[in-house]
Amino acid sequence: MKYPLARPPRLSLDQFSAAAGLHPQQVQRLVALGLLDPLTTGGERLEFAPSQLAVVARVQRLRIGLGLNYAAIGVVLDLLARIEELEAALRAARRF
Amino acid sequence: MTTPARDYYGVLGLDRGASTEEIQRAYRKLARKYHPDVNKDPGAEERFKEIGEAYQVLSDPKSRQRYDRFGPSWRQVPEDFDAATAGSPFGGGFGSRTGGSRVWVDTGPGQSDLDLEDLLGQLFGSGGRGGGFGRGAVPGADTEAELELSVEEAYAGGRRRIALAGGGGSRSYEVTIPAGVTEGQRIRLAGQGGQGIGGGPPGDLYLVVRLLPHPRYRVNGRDLTVELPMSPWEAALGATVPVETPAGTAQVNVPAGSSSGRKLRLRGRGLPNPRGAAGDLYAEVRVMVPPDLSRAERKLFEQLAEKSTFDPRAAATRRSA
Repeated sequence: MKYPLARPPRLSLDQFSAAAGLHPQQVQRLVALGLLDPLTTGGERLEFAPSQLAVVARVQRLRIGLGLNYAAIGVVLDLLARIEELEAALRAARRF
Repeated sequence: MTTPARDYYGVLGLDRGASTEEIQRAYRKLARKYHPDVNKDPGAEERFKEIGEAYQVLSDPKSRQRYDRFGPSWRQVPEDFDAATAGSPFGGGFGSRTGGSRVWVDTGPGQSDLDLEDLLGQLFGSGGRGGGFGRGAVPGADTEAELELSVEEAYAGGRRRIALAGGGGSRSYEVTIPAGVTEGQRIRLAGQGGQGIGGGPPGDLYLVVRLLPHPRYRVNGRDLTVELPMSPWEAALGATVPVETPAGTAQVNVPAGSSSGRKLRLRGRGLPNPRGAAGDLYAEVRVMVPPDLSRAERKLFEQLAEKSTFDPRAAATRRSA
């Protein structure tokens, strides 16, 4: 059995918004658009894993840098995740 | 799987009490996953339409409320119909105002009067898109499915019927497999992919060949490797041995002094190549020893052990020294 000494790292909506430099309403909007994955769904209180901060940053970069809208950013995020997965599989296959 | 009257909440993977934001979130994620240009699966287009249809209904509070009350046949119920005052012509299955039980019974497939053309028109807009395909016509996406073949089928080619889940249930195709297809090769069925929008031409369906593992043949590109079991004396003295190839039995001359692992090439006996030289077949020698020795065999082996000066490990020790 493992007993964590610290609380598992979760950020509340307010903490997350502050860290991302966004208004909480904007974060909620990103969740509704399916761009961010909160840990708790359905409840009123959203909580996030810290890794989602990197996703927010990527969303912002794609929007500002390439002028993509949010629907397009969703597709790009999914495709980038899939490319990463395939490249990892390709590296594993080459090593073999 | 692809009944037209599916539960819209089920399509989006939601509970009946889902909030508007949750509906939007589920729709966005699923639409991205199943868009025919992102997902090559032949069933993806159908799924994408279902998702769009479900979102169309559930995202509008008015139509959602009516769907919750009347179920899949909600479009057949007039806009101003009030279940509480009218005697229900629908068998009394709808929730009453006092009971508030919003239960409906799924009437199964074939009840929907949805016009997909209509919905798609709304989804994609019916004008101003698409360059060279006429007014608003967008060609369909290409789809991809796997086609599993045995080594023998890939060698001989031929016709085959395959069934794929696609637009409007299962579709079956008669496919001509060219002789000598290899792993990963794509067979194109023109015009069998996703439907075009607004009169656009349909996309193509690509069948990607996957060669099934074979109990005898190992496949490498067009080359085949097959094991050639031999007795110790055959391997030592040389012999002519029959080998199974996809084209039938062939005779192989195994030279004297062949140890396990030696590969004998039969040029052009691998998988054929419609454009160029056929692959080769390699027979790999594998020396087998009788599991149980008869009295006479045992005696002969003992004699051989006495007489022989052969040390199979000598070469290995010299190299490492």
